[in-house]
Amino acid sequence: MRESDRPSVVIVSHSAEIAAGLAELVGQVAGPEVPVVTAGGAVDGSLGTDGGKVLALLRAAAADGGAVVLVDLGSSVLSVRAAVAELGEDELERISVADAPLVEGAVAAGVALSTGCSHVEAARAAEEARNVGKL
Amino acid sequence: MSASSDLRVERVARLPEDVALHARPAGALVRAASSFAADVFVSANGRRANAKSILDILSLGAEGGVELVIDASGDDAAAAAEQLALLVPSLD
Repeated sequence: MRESDRPSVVIVSHSAEIAAGLAELVGQVAGPEVPVVTAGGAVDGSLGTDGGKVLALLRAAAADGGAVVLVDLGSSVLSVRAAVAELGEDELERISVADAPLVEGAVAAGVALSTGCSHVEAARAAEEARNVGKL
Repeated sequence: MSASSDLRVERVARLPEDVALHARPAGALVRAASSFAADVFVSANGRRANAKSILDILSLGAEGGVELVIDASGDDAAAAAEQLALLVPSLD
């Protein structure tokens, strides 16, 4: 999965459909140059999280251009925490986990990456999503 | 600070009738604005949004055919306003 040196957006959700739909949205807004990868649902396809897949995605991203990680709820957060705990120091430098709302955060991070921002700056853009009103 | 950094330039541009400032066009606008050092804002429907923030731009809810006011300030403000004013009518 060595497509570019650009950091990727990693979406971790309880639902494969949420993850896939959000990946499509981010792709449309941010453009095709920003890699978006997903870990949605449990191993058997039901609602849940697949910790092994999350770890594999983070490892792959760290070995490539780095990543900003967006998570939805509860055990998704725990899976990402557990995966991060497995990573080495040099891998951690290439991964930012954004404390942000999933949809807005992923879109903001994707667009930030499309303008050449680092994964750290993209995570910050995602976190600013909390301060942007919808109405 | 040179005097030119205080420059504020305003341009008006209209979205194509069939292109709302939604997903892809909004992303294109933000990418273009982000390539300038100037602070760039876009106003529509009585709201003013930071043109470098995708969420801000999406919150404008600008529909096709709407007139956007682009205002830029800073060193490359003139170029930024000019380029965005050219981009807006060509969004698809």
